[in-house]
Amino acid sequence: MSELATLARPYAAAAFKRAKETSATDKWSLSLAFLASVIKNENISVVVDNPKVNRQKLSALMLDICQGHVDIENENFIKLLVHNNRLDLLPTIAKLFEIYKAEDEGYIEVDVFTAFVFSKETKQEFTINLEKTLGKKIHMNVAVDKSLIGGILVRAGDRVIDGSIKGRLQHMQKALQ
Amino acid sequence: MQLNPSEISDLIKKKIENFDLSAEAHTEGTVVSVTDGIVRVHGLSEAMQGEMLEFPGNTFGMALNLERDSVGVVVLGPYQHITEGDTVKCTGRILEVPVGEALLGRVVDALGNPIDGKGAINTTETAPIEKIAPGVIARQSVDQPVQLGLKSIDAMIPVGRGQRELIIGDRQTGKTAIAIDAIINQKGTGIKCIYVAIGQKRSSIANVVRKLEEHGAMAHTIIVAASASESAALQFIAPYTGCSMGEFFRDKGEDALIIYDDLTKQAWAYRQVSLLLRRPPGREAYPGDVFYLHSRLLERASRINAEEVEKLTGGKVKGKTGSLTALPIIETQGGDVSAFVPTNVISITDGQIFLESNLFNSGIRPAVNAGLSVSRVGGAAQTKIIKKLGGGTRLDLAQYRELAAFAQFASDLDESTRKQIERGQRVTELMKQNQYSPMSVAQMAVSLFAANEGFLDTVEVNKVLDFEAALQLYMKSEHSELMNNINATGDFNNEISSGLKAAIESFIKTHSW
Repeated sequence: MSELATLARPYAAAAFKRAKETSATDKWSLSLAFLASVIKNENISVVVDNPKVNRQKLSALMLDICQGHVDIENENFIKLLVHNNRLDLLPTIAKLFEIYKAEDEGYIEVDVFTAFVFSKETKQEFTINLEKTLGKKIHMNVAVDKSLIGGILVRAGDRVIDGSIKGRLQHMQKALQ
Repeated sequence: MQLNPSEISDLIKKKIENFDLSAEAHTEGTVVSVTDGIVRVHGLSEAMQGEMLEFPGNTFGMALNLERDSVGVVVLGPYQHITEGDTVKCTGRILEVPVGEALLGRVVDALGNPIDGKGAINTTETAPIEKIAPGVIARQSVDQPVQLGLKSIDAMIPVGRGQRELIIGDRQTGKTAIAIDAIINQKGTGIKCIYVAIGQKRSSIANVVRKLEEHGAMAHTIIVAASASESAALQFIAPYTGCSMGEFFRDKGEDALIIYDDLTKQAWAYRQVSLLLRRPPGREAYPGDVFYLHSRLLERASRINAEEVEKLTGGKVKGKTGSLTALPIIETQGGDVSAFVPTNVISITDGQIFLESNLFNSGIRPAVNAGLSVSRVGGAAQTKIIKKLGGGTRLDLAQYRELAAFAQFASDLDESTRKQIERGQRVTELMKQNQYSPMSVAQMAVSLFAANEGFLDTVEVNKVLDFEAALQLYMKSEHSELMNNINATGDFNNEISSGLKAAIESFIKTHSW
């Protein structure tokens, strides 16, 4: 995974730069997400990995699938990846692209897991507090996870703020050992 | 340790009372790969170099390689239960080990956990394993001796408190024996000893522990064991662990002696870790920082002045200096001291005790090569009487070495040359000493005095050791006052000189050897 990131970084950086120049980051983001899901599809990955399928056929196939979802620049990007044999990097490129985009727009993606459904007011209050703690705007994805028993668990990139009952119980288990 | 149920519930209650229930914030990563104790972790963007990382199952690791997308971590201990996708947490701390008086008499592993079956170690203090050595201002020059209890070493290659003296030699030349004798001789001197066993057989370590127990030397000794069966990471950190335990005593104004047995194996362990971390190999496949590996460790052995001790103890200890003396051991292959690690450590230390297998095999034990062994700072620290009497020994042996080749033609040689050869043979014989029988300053002084004053010249070469043993017995029973006086002051003056002379002369009259 970390090795793939090294390979994918220049592609993602180039794509992002271009997207910014043409102020089409949102569009690029959508197309890359789409392409990533295409590559993850089993039927496609078999074809991509097959050495008997030559580059022209592969790029024709890819462009065919993506028709209507991508613009001319995206098509060129696909052709480049096919030419360099790097189609399998697409999911990583999409991920890195999102990171660049988030950095550029000054927000971070935050996953919040709660034991119970948030009410609207608590959510708003919580968002404000979390933004203060992290010092950045956040995009919050909230999910309910009953296994937490109570409280919340926040994941912002590598950072984890564990305020759940489950986490505290685990902590206590270790302390009592 | 048996506890009754009410005690257990009390204990648990206390722990729960003190339990901190705030939300925990940390940085997390996921395991990407596990290979031979090296784990690559994705994420952990805030990990620090050398930071302790927490794996599932109460396992810890140390971050050694910080790369763009991943962190290279060595697992400290077993790693079989770690799998791809496990979460790894930052702890925000450098690796720490327990330190304190409670460790004395115990055998611990490289992380400070007891492995001698004597229960938990009762100490609350911990210290990071990696510390920067004391600065220039904090130091004081070496001027007090550490008596190793071996005639040949204390007379010719003296070691001072705070010195780093290398013990170097091939396998089976008695390197560990010198170290063990040194520990035994510290009984009652107040010098605390730490013996760090790196990459040795468990049986050898058990042997050392047993011998120290037999001679009552475990009470002032800590043994840090990272045996050959333990992971390379543990063998690599064991010397730092021992050093931190020794620094605890140094920093509170006491004296400590640490033995690293041996640093060659530590360098091997570090080489393994480095190669698995994909650091580029250099000479003999060691990584580029193998010099720093040993220099930062040995720099921590030092003598610090009273002001520094006062500062470190918060004013509790005043007017006392602290010291940590290091005796690193290096094993050479076929006597080759120009290999990478031996040259490094020779250049770092303040002198070396050079042991040779041919001397060992010809019965000269300890097999010290007096010509190649040096002590660069110990002379200033030597006890006066030993310094005075030992100088002659060194000279006698040096002259003898030059002439030894002519020993076969003894009849053709002139009188003075023959005398020098004969003196040299007797002094060489006198320098032999049995294992586990360290000598006091007074005992050494008697033996050296007898050699210097020529009392041995009339004794047959193969009777020298018998003569010495009988002389020591005689001195102990007939002149204990003189001996105690020498042990107490360490001075050498006319009174002591004439006292020794009279005593030895009266002993020779008894002809009892």
